Formats: sequence, structure tokens, C-alpha cells
Amino acid sequence: MDLGSLLNALILGVSIASIWLIAALGLTIIYGTAGVINMAHGEFIMLGAYSSYMLQFYLGLPYLLCLPASFVIVALVGLALERGLIRYLYNRPLDTLLATYGVSLVLMQGVRLIFGSDPKYLAVPEMFQSNVMLGSASISAFRIVVLGITAFLVFALWLLFYKTRFGVQVRAVMQNKEMAASFGINSGRIYMMTFALGAGLAGVAGALFGVLAIVLPTMGASYVVQAFLMVVVGGGSLAGSVVASGVTGEMQSVFAFFTNDTFARFIIFVLIVVFLRFRPQGLFAQAGARR
Amino acid sequence: MQFTRRNLLKTTAAASAALAAPHLWLPTASEAWGATLKKGEPIKVGLLFSLTGSLAVPEEDSTLVMQYAIEEINKAGGVAGVPIEPVIVDAKSDFAVYSEKAKELILREKVIALFGCYTSASRKAILPTVMQRDHLLYYPTCYEGAECTQNTICTGPLANQHSQDLIPFMVQQFGKRVFFVGSNYVWPKESNKNAKVWLQKAGGELLGEEYIPLGSSEFGPVLNKIREAKPDFIFSTVVGASDIAFHKQFKQEGFKADKMPIASLTTGEIETRAMGAEFGAGHFLSAPYFQSLDNPTNNKFVENFLKSKYGKNGTTHYNMEETYTSAYVFKAGFEKAAAAVGFENVTPRAIRDHSGGVRVEDNVSPEGLIWIDENNFNCWLKPKIGQCQADGTFKIVKAADSHVAPDPYSIYPDAGVCTKDGLKAPDGKIRKSVI
Amino acid sequence: MGNLYHNKTAQWLTYAVFFAGFAVIPMTVDDSFLLNQLATYGVYGMLALSISLCWGFGGILNLGQGIAFGLGAYGMAMTMQMQTQDESNPIPPFMLNNSLDHLPMLWQPFQNTYVGMILAVAAPTLFCAVFGGIMFRARVSGPFFAIMTLAMLSAFYTIIIDRQPYTGGVNGLTPPSSLQFAGYEVDPYSPTAYWVVFGFLLGATVIAKLITQSSFGLVTQAIRDDSERVRFLGYSVAGYETVIYTVSGLIAAIAGCCWVMLVQYVSPAQLDVGFSLSMVIWAAIGGRYSLLGSILGAFIIQGAQSYLGDTFLATWLLILGGFFIIVVRFLPNGLASLVESGLGLFAAKRGPASAEPNGDAKPIPAE
Repeated sequence: MDLGSLLNALILGVSIASIWLIAALGLTIIYGTAGVINMAHGEFIMLGAYSSYMLQFYLGLPYLLCLPASFVIVALVGLALERGLIRYLYNRPLDTLLATYGVSLVLMQGVRLIFGSDPKYLAVPEMFQSNVMLGSASISAFRIVVLGITAFLVFALWLLFYKTRFGVQVRAVMQNKEMAASFGINSGRIYMMTFALGAGLAGVAGALFGVLAIVLPTMGASYVVQAFLMVVVGGGSLAGSVVASGVTGEMQSVFAFFTNDTFARFIIFVLIVVFLRFRPQGLFAQAGARR
Repeated sequence: MQFTRRNLLKTTAAASAALAAPHLWLPTASEAWGATLKKGEPIKVGLLFSLTGSLAVPEEDSTLVMQYAIEEINKAGGVAGVPIEPVIVDAKSDFAVYSEKAKELILREKVIALFGCYTSASRKAILPTVMQRDHLLYYPTCYEGAECTQNTICTGPLANQHSQDLIPFMVQQFGKRVFFVGSNYVWPKESNKNAKVWLQKAGGELLGEEYIPLGSSEFGPVLNKIREAKPDFIFSTVVGASDIAFHKQFKQEGFKADKMPIASLTTGEIETRAMGAEFGAGHFLSAPYFQSLDNPTNNKFVENFLKSKYGKNGTTHYNMEETYTSAYVFKAGFEKAAAAVGFENVTPRAIRDHSGGVRVEDNVSPEGLIWIDENNFNCWLKPKIGQCQADGTFKIVKAADSHVAPDPYSIYPDAGVCTKDGLKAPDGKIRKSVI
Repeated sequence: MGNLYHNKTAQWLTYAVFFAGFAVIPMTVDDSFLLNQLATYGVYGMLALSISLCWGFGGILNLGQGIAFGLGAYGMAMTMQMQTQDESNPIPPFMLNNSLDHLPMLWQPFQNTYVGMILAVAAPTLFCAVFGGIMFRARVSGPFFAIMTLAMLSAFYTIIIDRQPYTGGVNGLTPPSSLQFAGYEVDPYSPTAYWVVFGFLLGATVIAKLITQSSFGLVTQAIRDDSERVRFLGYSVAGYETVIYTVSGLIAAIAGCCWVMLVQYVSPAQLDVGFSLSMVIWAAIGGRYSLLGSILGAFIIQGAQSYLGDTFLATWLLILGGFFIIVVRFLPNGLASLVESGLGLFAAKRGPASAEPNGDAKPIPAE
């Protein structure tokens, strides 16, 4: 084994980590703030991909503009879902799991009825269609785009949560809803905003995954479990998800380098179980008691 | 059954026996197809494909093309003068549902044959029922072989037919060094074993073999290994959504189709359209059928199919064509059986036993003449090699000169030879229903 | 009188009526497909029952019940596969194709039908006891335990796929003949197979019901409602949780064995996340606080899937999803709560309710 290829695996690990992270980012916000177990997260990702497809195919929007547009569209869907259903379930977190599973079925089949079950195609600029050499290592330009957007979103979220008034309110609600309410914070509104934000982030992820992989009504299902594991291992916090995705992405890349992809996954699942056995609250648990 | 005293006694006896003393369980015998055909009533066949879920992508097309073929056959006078009536069910991409629906079609609907399944796993899920009721499954797609039942007829290429021409062609055109990539299940693994045989004969060198979980879209680690190995070409048996991700990331990672092409057994018209032709262009596919095949039968098939109400997906591809010909294999087998035993005595067993050697001629089969092997009931066909063009269509670069024989046990000579009555082991013993 | 729903005698009577109705079917119909189908629903009913016991009464949401079910099913499939092998042909065909020339150690015990069937039930049960024991002692609970079962399920799913020579990989195992037991063949379409499932469902239901009514069951329900308080009272919370989780796993393992007897097939799809989720859905729709409600939930959803799925085709999943949403939104305790409130109205009309709700096991939902 030579060091060059291991280095390649490590660089790839960063990219895999960014993919796992951007898939988990929206879920982190939703689960971390409101404790909602959103099984429709994968379908939000799918909706993001279809939004981009729709904008590109019918309106001819350039790909880079599709990203923010997908954010807005899916955030609106999330907003509608929160107002119509989720807000009645905040004190029953396990029931949100079941209700959102129903939502995921409806979204998946709804999209299939509208767009058909054949895969769709997302066009991206030619410059994203090749690779970049970093010394002896090589990485695709589009993976760098994904990494860049993920880093940007993490930074933006950090600013939002730690440097704005809204962020202070969100963190107050997270720690103690009643206390926050007694200080005049409208927790219902905070939940609504964070749910829409989380959905929008899934939308961006979908627009990116549509280019890396495929646009299909069932595409979201493969992301939701791994996103969940990242969020829970991370403890529901932004930093936790970043670290959890980082470590897992690297492990996936390095184990796959030494064994094979399937076995690498197996090891990761087992390690997650072992980790949660010793730290059930996750890497960075939220301050204060979320009920 | 009427609620008579005798039946009640019988069942309660069975019940108490079952509950009270397990060793007194009444023996039960499997019964064969419990129906007879009647003149003047349509012949019912079951279409067992998924119309929802992840398998709907290929299988919805299969259902559509079967409906088209049945309509076409009925318009031309039906089978032995009797129209076919399709019974369509949705297997929901769930193997347990395949099993349930197969039972429903066989036991309740009393169809005379099943057309269905795309994945090996779904075929395995329904085979116990099919075999136990001595029924008949038309399995219209490529598969791995190593199976010898007396209840299936397959119209797609077997693993031994699929790569026979492709590997030597690629070695000759691009070089000896090859890397195998496949989805992690039985068909890619078996196909690769066959490919290794051809590779050895062609003097090629295998640099590595990697399997990706079904449905996975992360090809970074595999592409890194390929970059290390520097093969001359890649032999791919990646299927479904993964295949599209594989071709996309292949190009995004800077690999070029003209320098290191992918020779695939799966990437057809439907896949290249989904990934975008620029990701498919330059790569190769081995299949018995391409939409671009230029012969009068195919031109007519493509034109008529696409303008029919079943052609809404806008393309034809090898899997659809194999499904289409299976309808004609059924017609030929049924008519032969009816001629031999009389229309009213035709059963799934009779059709199967008379299907050995039936032909679908040039003027019906879009891929050209095919016929069913008299021993193993797979299909004699001509695999062709196509190269994907910039517009997503395939240019035929090589077609087999003669038909290639199907051999489900080609790489397991020790296991025996598949004959009409079962797997004949080297010691002469014949074993039925080997799956 | 109080709400009839909480009356123990009435509950047992309802159970008796349900099982009597279930028992009459094979005597009145001669439709082998229907028998096989209903028996399969019976298996799903067992799974829903096991979830209800664990989640509704023990407060442990298990998203990985597919582990116990799948391992049981694999054990049974291995047993049935080995029944079709003989001296001249000692190893299953799929192993030959995967270049194995001898029977692996893992498979050897399954050569004996009785040992194989015992293992098929014992191995998953033991797994639940060990896994549950370790986790509950570390005080893992609630959504965290649910996620861990999910991760564990995914781990099993992946390793079964990866070890194709031993497990058949994605294709799973397809024993070519029906189960032979004590010299007889159990035809999966016969009343015999139906009665076997019926017997196990009846047994599991009665035992589960007795558990919930016992003092042990009361403690688990107390743990569900407030585990800290029970712990401070001196009970071993982890011990109770482990036992209820293991019993639930045992029922699922038996269900797995019955399932393979009926369909002669098992694949990693039985350990898929979606399947385990649907078990939870059956219990939730039927009513997780009611054992019979959960069983009926499985019957209703699977029955609708079979009989309405093909009628509505494309819109079926929309209807199903919409139904889940409506039930969860408006009937948090499932369809059984409709019966409860219906009978409650009735009781209220009949005059002032007697103060005691009979000290019954039916819980008040707590969260």
C-alpha cells in the first residue's frame, strides 16, 4: 500500500463527509430545534431535485440559480407541512415519525404521478463535468462545488444561530420552550421558521444529489437513514453533525479503500451502535433539557 | 366448498391434529394447475411487474410492452384463435408482494402463465409457488443462469451469452487490462465469472473486482481504485440508479470514454437518456437488441410501439424487446401444445413441454430470429455490441455471426447439465427444480 | 358501570370472538389462496402484537423488529433448505455457485430439523436479550434506542448482503420444497399451515395479554410512563425493559419461522428499514395500547394493500399515506381508541360511571 493512494482516500473522505453532512443538515435543524423525527426528509431532498429539474426544463433556469430556487420551493413545502400537520404533533415526537412517514409516501407517489417514474436529468455547466488535480490526488470539480456549498451553508447557519436575534430566540426555545415563551418569544413561529429552513436545506441537497446521482421519485429513501444516524450521533447540534459526518465520511472512504463498500458500511453501522451505547446523547448534546 | 358436515369434520380433525399432536399432522399433497381452458373464453395470463416503487423504472415499461404485444396478437387473431386477457397486478417493488401476487394469479385467477420479474430476487421469491403448482413463468430479461427448473422460460441472454463477444472485442480494441465493477448481488458476480473465462481466452488481465451496494450512489472509492489500477477498459455490471450515478461520476472524476471506455451489460437506451447522453457517449453495451437495429421488423416495431398508447416513455430498449418476444414465445408454445394435446387440455406444463425449439421468426422478433433451447428452455440469440453516440442512441459495432447457445451451467461443469427433466449430474442422476 | 372497553371480561370475550371467527374460516371456505393469505396476515398480526407489547406497554419503540423476524426467518429457511439436501448432494446449490465446496460451520446445526428450528427461535431471542440487556443497562431509551435498533438493523442487512456465499446475498434463500415435519409435508396452502399460524398467534396473544395484566406488566407500563420514578421505587428498570423487549423479540422470531413456512422464501428485504417501519405502522394505526387493535391494524392495512392496491394502482400510496397522516393526527391511539371513546359515550349515557376503572391494564397515553 502506498501513501499516495491513502491520501487520495482521505481527500475523497472529505468529499463523502460533505455529502453526508449536507444530507443531514436540514434534519439537524428540524430535529435539534423541535425534536421532530422527520421521515419525509428524504422526500424533501427528492423534491429539491425535482424543483431544479422543473425550473431547468420548463423555464431554462441556469443550474446555479436552481440551487437557491430549490431552497425556496422546498422551504415553502416545508412551511405548508408544518402549518398543516407538524404543529399539532410537537408534544408527541414519536408520532411525528409515523405522520411524516405518511407524508413521505404521499410526496413520493405524488411526484411519480406528475413526472412519471422514469429518471430525470439535470444539466450542469461544462466546467463542473471534469476533475481537478491536487498534486497526485484528483477530485471532481463538482465534488468541490458540493464541499463549498456545504461549508458555506454551515457557516451561514452558524451566523444565523449565533449572531442574530433570530438565532438567540431559536436557542432559547430549544433549551426551554416555556421559559422562552414567558420572555415573549413566539415558539410556534420559531418552530415554523426552523422547519421551513430545514426543508429548504434538504432542497439544496437534492439539487446537488440530482447531479451526482439520479433524479427519481424514490431517490430520497436512501438518504434518510444515514442522515438520521448522523444527526443522532452528533447529538442534534450543528457542530455535532459536522463532526459526525466528517468522521463517518472518512471512515467510509478509508474502510472502502481497505475492504469494500458494503463491508465498510457494515463496520460503520456497528461502530455507531457501539458509540451510542457509551454516549446515547450523542457527541455534542444540546445544553439544557429538551423534553 | 360447501359447508357440509363431512368437510367440517375433515377440517376440524386436521385442526385438532395440528394443535394437539404435531406428529399427527395430516399429509398434504401439492396439486397442479386446478383449471381447464374453455373454448370461447379468453386465455388469462398474469403480468407480474412492479408499477410503483424503485423497480417501477424498468418494470413499468415491461407491463406496457406486454399489453402492447397482447393487443397486437389479439388483433391478428389471438392464440390458437382465442384472444389473450392480461391480468395486471402491481408487485410494489416488494419481494413479499411478488410472492403474494404470484399466488393470487396462480391460485385465484388461474392464469395459464406468468410473465414477470426483473430482478433475480423477485424471481426467487415466486419460484417456490410456481414450481409447487407446476406452473409456468416467462422471465423476460437477462439473468445469471445456474438454475434448472422445469417451470421457467427465459427470453433474455444468460451470463454465458452476454459477454462472449464483448470481452474479446474490448481486449482487441482497447487493450488487455480490465477492471470489473458490479452491483453487490448474484447476477453481477456470476456474469463476472463468465467474463473471466472469456477474458482468459482473450489473453486479458484482470486488475481488480469491486462490488457496490445496490442503490448506492457513491462511486468515489471505486473510481479511486480504478485510477490506481489504470486499466484499458472497465467491465460493468452495475444496475439501476447506481449505474447512472456510476457513469456520471466517471466523467465528473475526469475519466474519458475514448481512453478508458466502460463495457456494460446493462447501460441501454433508458439509462443513457436518464443520465444525459454526454455521460453515456462512447461507452459500450452488449445486448441482443438495440432500438437502432436497422431491420424492417424492428423499424415497424419501434414506429408502431412509440405511437401506440403504450409508448409514452418514448423509447424501446433490450429489456422491453425481450419482454415483447416472450409474448410470441408463449403464442408459439401454446399453439404447438394445443396442436399436440388439444386446446382444452393445454396446461402450463403442456405449454412448457412443447416450448422446446419454438421459434420467433425474423418477421416478428425485432432482434431477429430466436428460438428456445430444447433442454434448458433459455433462448438462442445473437448478442450485439453497440456504442453509445452523442445523441444517446447506439451504433452497432459488432453483431454475432451465428446464434449463441444458452448454457446455465457453463462455468459449473461439475454441477451437471440442465436437461428438460432436471439437472443431470455427472453421475447420471437427474435432480428436479434446482434453484 | 364503567367503560366496557376497560372491562377485563369484555376484553377476553372480544379476543375469544376474534379468534373464533378466525378459526371458522378454513371450515367454511375452500380457497387455498385465501387460507395462505390470511395465514400470512396472521404472521403480520404477530409482528404487530410484538410491537404493541414492546412499544405500547413497555414504552420501547423498536424500529429494528426486522432483526428478530429476519433472523428467525433465515434460521427456518436454512432448516428447510437443508431438508432438501441429501448425502449425494450435501450443500445448497447457491453455495456451489459461490465456490464453497463444503457446508460452512454456520449451517451445520441446521442439518437437523429440530435443532434448526430451535436455533431459529433461540438465536434471535438471545440476541434481543443480550442487545437489550447491554443497551437498557446503559439507560438508552426513547428515540435513542429507536435509532440504535435502526442502525443495528442496517448492520444486519448489509452483512447478509455482503456475505453472499453463506447467506445467498440479495437473492436470499429459496428452499425448493415445503417444510417436512415429523414425517409430514406442511403444504403452505393447506389448512394445516393455517392452523399452525393460528395456534401461534393465539398463544402469543394470550401470553401477551396475561403479561400486560400481571404485576410485571403493570411495572413495565409504569416504566413507560415515568421510568425515573419507577427506578427510585427500587425496581430494576433495565431488567424489566430487557424482559419485555426479549419477549417481543421471541414473538417476532416465531413469526419469522411461520412466514418462511408460508412463503418458502427469505431475503434481506425482510430486514429492510421499510418493513420494520411498517410493523410499527400496523401497531400505531390499530392502536398500540391495544394488543388486539394492533393485530387488526396489520390485518386492515395488509388486507387493504392486497385488495385495494391493485384497484387504485397509482393513487393507492397517496390514499395509504393520507390515511396514516389522518389517523396519527386525529387518533393518536389508533383505531382502537375509536372503540374506546365509542363505548365511553355509551357508558356515559347509561348513567354516572362507577368510580373504579376496574384497575385495568388499559393505559392512559402518556408522553
